Amino acid sequence: MNSASATVFRPPTRFPLLPPNSHNPNPPRIQYKPNHSNPRSISTRSLQISHRKHVTPPHPPEFSTLTVAEKLQILVKEFKSLPEPIDRVKRLIHYASLLPEFDESGRVESNRVTGCTAQVWLEVTMDVEGSMRFRVDSDSEITKGFCYCLIWLLDGAAAGEVLEIRVEHLEEMNVGILPIRASSRVNTWHNVLLSMQRRTKALIMEAYGDPSLPLLP
Amino acid sequence: MMTMEGVVLKLPSFTQLMNPNHFTNRTSLNLRFTFPKSSSSSTASLSVPAAAPVSLGHSTRHDFEILHQKVNNGSKLVYLDNAATSQKPSAVIDAVNNYYRSYNSNVHRGIHFLSARATDEYEMARRKVAAFINASESSEIVFTRNATEAINLVAYSWGMSNLQPKDEIVLTIAEHHSAIVPWQLLSEKTDAVLKFVSLTEDEVPDTKMLQELVSEKTKLVVVHHVSNMLASVLPINEIVQWAHDVGAKVLVDACQSVPHMVVDVQNLGVDFLVASSHKMCGPTGVGFLYGKSELLAAMPPFLGGGEMISDVFLDHSTYADPPSRFEAGTPAIGEAIGLGAAIDYLSEIGMQKIHDYEVDLANYLYESLRTVPGVRIYGPTPSATVHRAALCSFNVEGLHPTDIATFLDQQHGVAIRSGHHCAQPLHRYLGINASARASLYFYNTKEDVDDFVRGLIDTIDFFSSFK
Repeated sequence: MNSASATVFRPPTRFPLLPPNSHNPNPPRIQYKPNHSNPRSISTRSLQISHRKHVTPPHPPEFSTLTVAEKLQILVKEFKSLPEPIDRVKRLIHYASLLPEFDESGRVESNRVTGCTAQVWLEVTMDVEGSMRFRVDSDSEITKGFCYCLIWLLDGAAAGEVLEIRVEHLEEMNVGILPIRASSRVNTWHNVLLSMQRRTKALIMEAYGDPSLPLLP
Repeated sequence: MMTMEGVVLKLPSFTQLMNPNHFTNRTSLNLRFTFPKSSSSSTASLSVPAAAPVSLGHSTRHDFEILHQKVNNGSKLVYLDNAATSQKPSAVIDAVNNYYRSYNSNVHRGIHFLSARATDEYEMARRKVAAFINASESSEIVFTRNATEAINLVAYSWGMSNLQPKDEIVLTIAEHHSAIVPWQLLSEKTDAVLKFVSLTEDEVPDTKMLQELVSEKTKLVVVHHVSNMLASVLPINEIVQWAHDVGAKVLVDACQSVPHMVVDVQNLGVDFLVASSHKMCGPTGVGFLYGKSELLAAMPPFLGGGEMISDVFLDHSTYADPPSRFEAGTPAIGEAIGLGAAIDYLSEIGMQKIHDYEVDLANYLYESLRTVPGVRIYGPTPSATVHRAALCSFNVEGLHPTDIATFLDQQHGVAIRSGHHCAQPLHRYLGINASARASLYFYNTKEDVDDFVRGLIDTIDFFSSFK
């Protein structure tokens, strides 16, 4: 449904691979929207994967010039649409499989997110245009799934947008009937988000020397 | 759900029923359903004695309302996290309720009717604890908030006034954080040195190493009785012997033993022993320290305030005798009374009976879990001489324990724990970051174990399908 004048946008190199055991009658479908001007837009992908326990295919998230706030809405809506906690677990595990490769060199102590029952490594960099780039990995599939959502949300975003997100905004994603409000070791992804923000701040300080300077490149 | 366990079910013949010895060996007639009560006036040969052995798990289950519920996606709850905390029978809940409804009042001070009654019941609870562990007098029992506070009490009160720089405290690497951190804090203040005993190849604390580490320099040995992760049991008698030979004291963390077996402090010879109420069918908020009279008598106060004083002046105060000396402020009165009710409940069943049942269940859990491919259980292999507690910490190859626990909970209603179980040094030693743990109590049944294992297999299948 792209208009004739749409530019075909090549997704970044993080092309998702189908899990080898999935029986997929349909090939992966990538949906594109016309890319307006922002070369740093993040692509999202929609995949139809059927698991032997039939999982509802994920709602295709649209991308392009979505702000972090808009992406947050999409994410929250998606998880809200999964009433059964077990479906959220399945969705998260599916997302875990989409997480791009994490280079071994990144598995260093300084990249470890502390205070988690699962191990998480987080790489935070700022690219030449001043956007924040994140790479993450974990030894827990469910945690990887959460991290994928965080990456989808924040990778390539402006530092200001990263710092604006509050943990409460992401409550809907909590697996379980009762959202765990208290911060605890179990809330690994809370810790990951906080770590992303802390290190973003640190990079801002390094780059601009003053955190109050405009953070939108 | 009914499982037959692969036992060939043969109804006893009439002559067998008439033999009074027939039912003594529980394993030979492991019936898991109750005989229907015969209503008609049928032949006498089919009137089965009502006392067909039903497992302890089945017979006590109805006392625990909380176990009869559905969770998450409508699965029935299978509660296997007892090492973290136990469930409470109605008798205990009623006791606490009754306290608040009928005679709630502050203890020790008041003269009026309610206060006298509350004091009576509170002190009665203390006597029950003393009797339960065979302390020589009830003043050897100090009520605390929990076992952790009890250990801190010993660290600050006994430790600060008895340890000199270079004095040694011997512990094992399998200790719970509550039995490690207070001594670390203490060693910072007193310059005492902590020495740790590691594990043997059988994944039990190396008692030979412990014996060697205990020397003239040792002032205190701190050990668990039953490990909350390895399920191993330490030979406390021997350890106490080695320690006393060099003039050292012994503190035993009995949190995982007092709820599950007979613990006799006279027999064990320990100087200090701690346990928590909430792991033994009692309420949270109360635990206790057992200390030999002469030791407690010589110890300075821990927390200061009301109750623990004798006379208070502006420039100094004098202190009460133990146990009051160590019970500052208004205690958890209702909760202590609840603990007393829990002890009554457990004693009525009999700790030996509970222990025997759990040994059987422990073996069943271990053997069942072992059959699941990819599972690695920590701690010793059970044998004729090596008994495991009814818990298994384990990992599954390629799966994070948190993922296992989450799926087991969400999909199957099975409650286990994942993480480091307050034993990070032990996990580090074993080369792992975390583990999953299923821990049982006397109200669990073999069906619970079956549900767990079935759920675990399904969990593993589920995650494998994504690979």
